[in-house]
Amino acid sequence: MKKLIAVVATAAVAALGLTGCAGSTGASSSSEKVSLTFWHGYTEADGGVLDDIVKKFNASQKNITIKTQTKTWAVIDDTLLPALSSKNGPDIVAMTSDRLPVYAKKHALVDLDDFYAKPSSNTSKLKAEAVSMETVDGKKYGVPSGFVPLSVIYNKTLFAKAGITTFPTTWDEWVSDAKKLTVDSNGDGTPEQYGLVLPDHATVGNGIWPSLFEGNGGSITNAAGTKATIDSKANVETLTYWANAIRQDKISPTGTDGIAADKLFTAGKTAMEVGGPWMAGVATASKIDYGLAAIPAGPKAQAASAIGISLGVTAQTDTAKQQAAEKFLAYFNEKSTATTWSLGSGWPPLRTDVSAADVDSNATVASLTKIAPNTRALLPGVVDSTDVLTAIDTATQKAVAGGDPKQLLGDAQSSIQQALSK
Amino acid sequence: MTALTRPGVRLARRATTRRHGDPGRWIFFAGFLIVTFALMLPVIIIVLTAFKPASEVNAFPPTLAPHQWTLDNFRAIFSELPFGRLIANSFGFAGGVTVFALAFDSLAAYALARLDFRGSRILLIVIIASLMIPFQATLIPIYQLVSQLGWVNTFAGLIAPRAADAFGIFFLRQFFVSLPRDLDNAARIDGASEWRVFRSVVLPNAVPALLTLGIFTFVNNWNDLLWPLVFTTDQKMGTITSGLTLLTGPGGIIPQGVMMAGALIAVLPLAIMFLLVQRRFIESVASTGLK
Amino acid sequence: MTTQQLQRKRPYRPPGQIGGRTRLNGTFKRRATIVGFLAPALVILAAFVGWPMISALRLSFTDASGFGTPSFVGLANYVRVFTDSDILKAMANTALYAVLFTPVSIVVALVLALVVNSPRLPFRGFFRSTLFLPFIVSLAVAAFAWSYLLDPQIGLANYWLQAVGIRIGNVLQDPTLAMPTVVLVAVWKNFGFYMVIFLAGLQEIPKSLYEAAQLDGAGGWKRFTNVTYPMLSNTMAFVVIVAVIAALQAFDQIYVLTGGGPYRSTETIVMQIYQSGFKDLDLGFASALSYVLLIVTLLLSLVQFLFFGRRGEDTAS
Repeated sequence: MKKLIAVVATAAVAALGLTGCAGSTGASSSSEKVSLTFWHGYTEADGGVLDDIVKKFNASQKNITIKTQTKTWAVIDDTLLPALSSKNGPDIVAMTSDRLPVYAKKHALVDLDDFYAKPSSNTSKLKAEAVSMETVDGKKYGVPSGFVPLSVIYNKTLFAKAGITTFPTTWDEWVSDAKKLTVDSNGDGTPEQYGLVLPDHATVGNGIWPSLFEGNGGSITNAAGTKATIDSKANVETLTYWANAIRQDKISPTGTDGIAADKLFTAGKTAMEVGGPWMAGVATASKIDYGLAAIPAGPKAQAASAIGISLGVTAQTDTAKQQAAEKFLAYFNEKSTATTWSLGSGWPPLRTDVSAADVDSNATVASLTKIAPNTRALLPGVVDSTDVLTAIDTATQKAVAGGDPKQLLGDAQSSIQQALSK
Repeated sequence: MTALTRPGVRLARRATTRRHGDPGRWIFFAGFLIVTFALMLPVIIIVLTAFKPASEVNAFPPTLAPHQWTLDNFRAIFSELPFGRLIANSFGFAGGVTVFALAFDSLAAYALARLDFRGSRILLIVIIASLMIPFQATLIPIYQLVSQLGWVNTFAGLIAPRAADAFGIFFLRQFFVSLPRDLDNAARIDGASEWRVFRSVVLPNAVPALLTLGIFTFVNNWNDLLWPLVFTTDQKMGTITSGLTLLTGPGGIIPQGVMMAGALIAVLPLAIMFLLVQRRFIESVASTGLK
Repeated sequence: MTTQQLQRKRPYRPPGQIGGRTRLNGTFKRRATIVGFLAPALVILAAFVGWPMISALRLSFTDASGFGTPSFVGLANYVRVFTDSDILKAMANTALYAVLFTPVSIVVALVLALVVNSPRLPFRGFFRSTLFLPFIVSLAVAAFAWSYLLDPQIGLANYWLQAVGIRIGNVLQDPTLAMPTVVLVAVWKNFGFYMVIFLAGLQEIPKSLYEAAQLDGAGGWKRFTNVTYPMLSNTMAFVVIVAVIAALQAFDQIYVLTGGGPYRSTETIVMQIYQSGFKDLDLGFASALSYVLLIVTLLLSLVQFLFFGRRGEDTAS
């Protein structure tokens, strides 16, 4: 005990002498061995594939060793700030793309424009839409490691029962099929089975309503992410259309979020759900015979919002570590690595020169690759995406509960504008 | 006086028990059993879900008990997580914090309750006030300090910041104040030092309070998620509670049956500990002379 | 009532006056004793609570993000606390939560503690342990269990109640019902904690007092009001203060159930602190908001101190 008191006393003394700045990690010259830490949230089989890619990279390098640490995305987000503030954090970090602009804006990530400019970075063939997730204030702060469109997963057994043989490709077909799949057998006004579950808040990747708005030619913000555009006439139409389908035709329950929607699909209470690619595995575990399809096209376009993951290099790296990290990113972007990664992660390839045929050994990846061309990044470059998304959620949830879409989108417009100009 | 009344109390209690060995007592029991069952419904759901196959966890219609019982979820836990190491780390962390906090908190609480000194009341208020800042606000400064000491990813870093806590000091101080002063004053008249009074008179009489605080400290640290995650970035140092988050799949999808199985195993040591300790609540009454 | 209780009410006499020995040994030794008892805890608290609190106070006047050099912004963060409509809403929500949570959880805990402490109840050990379970299960699985019960489409409670023609609907997504529901779950999660504190307090009440009351012919309610309740005053003071502090810092239990929704109707101050500190990386603002919360809590607690202090000098000693 005495010893501990001594230790603690030392701590107190140290504390009093502290000024809040963290110790330096020590510079290392380029000829020295560099060891990097890499945090990622790939907790499933995809994590094993990524670890293998890192191992192969380590084997190819004389002086660089990368050590991976698997955490969940939420854990990375909760622990990155304290860790980086004391330079105990990762040198390379994977994060969900909605989080990247905040860390970039607060100088936690290194600007990678020079890296992108080098041909050796293998970035020229990356999908432009995926790279747009990495751009904040005109500079690039990351490399995409995942970019997958939301898609519709449907219950083939329920489709067969309703006699529907082909998956709808337009909104009107979608709603009319959903009506056929909605069953209220006891006639109490609350269906026992829904055609579709369309969450009205906290949707998967927050992307369902942005996808729908885009299908009718609308948007949330302008391309630069500086001006709110959510109160457009097109968006009012879109919100009215879907609120009616949910409220009057009762094709979907109200007040659900993404997680509740997943549960309804696995319970067989709904025939369709807009979800992420992982729903395929969840459906298999729940013994549901499923199919995957693109979100049906709206009056103006077929559009699907993306779920994105990015790799960034953190500000705690010195020059040598940053160079080493960039070497890894270049390796990660190579065509062969990109193909391996796409097959292993189950997400569509990030390069334009990897075709669906290159990944046809994985059926899910192949079908996602086919619907991938119209994938849009969600709110690229918007720093305060939380407040923007809360404003969208409030409008959609209230509209589905019976509010006036025009007025609600007007409210959302001012909240979003306020968040963008912060 | 106490020595004289004790047998009397026992006799009276036994008589009470006998008088109520009648149907009324069992109706009371049955009624309370129903209340308890209702309150425990969520716990029952957790337990039974752990034995459900994945296809039943969110099935409709919902059921309490699985149609088909399975141990797959438990098997998955042991194959996916280094369970032994996680549990050992949890014991090291929660146990370490509990031992130090009980020792340091009871010393300080004794001073605040018994060693009347100028400013003791203000000191108490300052200590309580430190509970009023949400830990989200101080976590990063604490982390920077621990990091400066080179204690990130060590048990020292996990335990030292919690080796004393305001809640425990306040809690024990309230109980020490409640203890009749006659006992320790008698000991002081006999020439006992404050340390002796603390160790031989006050502590033995505060066993229920110490056990209660010990359980709280242990449970809170055992179940704490953010603290071990922040202070141990290395997975080798992970606790069972932080380890269970690794079951989360892509899209934040949690295999719920497996999660319930993991939670069940994680909570077992706590439940057993409480079961053992709550007996001491009763015994301690009989064993402390002054009652 | 009995000699023991009368003695307890007697004003405190410093030990020095009793034996006279301590005084003879001089004040230096006495001071050393006091310091010896306090030092271990105070050193820890100073280093890991006091210092971080000072750091946070300093940060509250800056635009710190955790990266780069923060610059001084004066009272800007504090001004924002009182002008941001979302923060004001969170303050109102937090107050409502505390007003609902504190009395309900204390009454539930006290009643259950009295029941499981009653010698009339068979298998008390079983009940004590069982009722403590909600407190020890982790929050994530408790949230799962509650959503399994409350889900409006596939939830157990709805399914059972539908059989008798009742629909409880989507309580967690209803702007008026969400807060009471969240309080209900929080009470469920925490009553075991307060119950055990009351149980420990009940153990400290000398049984002779009950015996004397029984001899006086006091019934169950009289015994409670004349013996149990006054003798629990220190425990009660503790529980009330701790419960209010906890309620004003409500965060994770609501976070896992509603995430603050619907329409921010269950969003609390600490949720905003978490959002600004860990999501928006705005440590300066998060610190300022934390200090506003600290000051409000402190004022409320001082009121409680005065209230409990007047009722028994034991607390105020």
